[in-house]
Amino acid sequence: MKKVTLQYFAVLREQAGRSEERLETAATTPAELYAEVQARHGFTLPLSMLRVAVNEEFRDWSSPLEANDRVVFIPPVAGG
Amino acid sequence: MQPFAFSTLPIDTARGREALADPACGGYATFEGWVRDHNEGRAVRRLEYEAYAALAEREGERIVAEAVAKYGVQHAACIHRIGDLALGEMAVWVGVSSRHRAEAFAACRYIIDEVKHRVPIWKKEHYVDGDSGWVNCERCAQPGEHESHADHAHAHAATEESRAAPDFSRQIALPEVGAAGQQRLRAGSVLVIGAGGLGVPVLQYLAAAGVGRVGIVDGDVVEASNLHRQPLYGVADIGKSKAAVAAARLRALNPEATFAVHAERADAGNLVDWLARYDLVVDCSDNFATKFTVNDAAVILGKPAVFASVYQYEGQLQVYLPREDWPCLRCLWPEAPRDGLVGNCAQAGVLGPVPAVLGAMQAMQALKILLGLPVESAPALHVFDLLGMHWRTLKAARNPACDHSPRELQTEAIDPDALELVYPTLAAACASGLTLVDIREPWERARDDPPGPIEWHLPLSAFLQGSTALPREGRYLIVCAHGVRSLALAGHLRSLGFTAVYSLAGGLAAVDS
Repeated sequence: MKKVTLQYFAVLREQAGRSEERLETAATTPAELYAEVQARHGFTLPLSMLRVAVNEEFRDWSSPLEANDRVVFIPPVAGG
Repeated sequence: MQPFAFSTLPIDTARGREALADPACGGYATFEGWVRDHNEGRAVRRLEYEAYAALAEREGERIVAEAVAKYGVQHAACIHRIGDLALGEMAVWVGVSSRHRAEAFAACRYIIDEVKHRVPIWKKEHYVDGDSGWVNCERCAQPGEHESHADHAHAHAATEESRAAPDFSRQIALPEVGAAGQQRLRAGSVLVIGAGGLGVPVLQYLAAAGVGRVGIVDGDVVEASNLHRQPLYGVADIGKSKAAVAAARLRALNPEATFAVHAERADAGNLVDWLARYDLVVDCSDNFATKFTVNDAAVILGKPAVFASVYQYEGQLQVYLPREDWPCLRCLWPEAPRDGLVGNCAQAGVLGPVPAVLGAMQAMQALKILLGLPVESAPALHVFDLLGMHWRTLKAARNPACDHSPRELQTEAIDPDALELVYPTLAAACASGLTLVDIREPWERARDDPPGPIEWHLPLSAFLQGSTALPREGRYLIVCAHGVRSLALAGHLRSLGFTAVYSLAGGLAAVDS
């Protein structure tokens, strides 16, 4: 288990009811982590529609997750 | 005869006169506009007229109806040429018949002035020296001042306006700008896609900074619900073309610059042609299909693009530069998201300053590009949360799988002929062998239960949560209230391998029960 910090934007923030959280997880990749929080918060967006950034850089969903990583799930937005 | 029409052929004035003839009328006044051989000091060889026909005809008819009502004349009509015209040819004709001459003259004057001011028609002047340029006819008239035309005020107004000029000294004082930088801005040109919440501040700051040529692309009209975040417009502008109103306001801000009006939606068919004439593009659109088309056009032409989007209190900002190490929009989002699955301003709500902040940042990035200043140290997606006041800079890299080679522009929007179907009734849809799937949420159904043969009730939220209840091999017509969600879902299901899934155009609101 490791502690990571998550940040939510747009519809994910609405559905999670918060913009940030720190949690302990056994997830080894961002994809596993998203599955975990998706189940918990009832996120409706499928992973395929999102991008993930770890420590301020875009990453693959299968890249390794380290303790104290800062993870941001980003939905695309189109409002103008 | 139609009250307002476009013609590609020479105007037949005798036919017009016949159509307006009436024994009750004692007067008939006409106006003819001709192609003259000079404009603003330049010798003109010939002219080309182009109109946004669908909108222009409606507006033209409205003007003629207004003239009839306002002056109580019997009959009125207007014909405008489009296409190529030689010197001396008639470009526009107005005819009015009435009981007495005074109303006929007044109505005729009203129609020609309003047509020049309000109808989206552009003329391209071909000069004797071989050069050419597009001139929006709206420049010929002062907005909404037809009443004062008795003393022909607008020639004087134009002269007075041109005496005053913007003073750029406060920005020229910056070492990064200087007189040379100001000259670069004046020589620069920017195409702005969308004149809404993002587009308004972008346009205002580009015009105010002295950018020499700005193209405004927006097919929408001003709506009352736009004003809280688009304060360039006022309540008197409701119903008018955004692009045309914006251009008029910006000309007042900087009379030295040129503002081109494209009062239609940017798409794969027009964008490359337009963008080819500008240095860079600023995307202020409100939908994914347009954003990705803008991206593709910028990549194909090798032009910088400044993107932004907002959602409630948040915004995203990304600059594309035509460099080998720089990611485009598709590098970040290889699968262009479909419109309808993520909320827009209308559905999700937005506070005015949010697009204003992002738009001001887009203007800043655009000015830096024109000035030749470094845009940012490394390519990134900037994510702003203006509620919590956080700004994250997420470094982005070029995706090696993303195709940046020159190619034909692809339309991201799915061909509506193939994906959307029009039916008069749900029964007609069933008769064509389709199974109906209602994706409205349960509360919508309870409130407004549709009659008719619906086989599946599967709310959109169930699909988004990955529901696999619907067998892949069926032939489905997806229905929702207005056809927006169903279209998005039909496209989404196609991408998941459903081959015969369609969306009911216009939704349940569009069919008879």
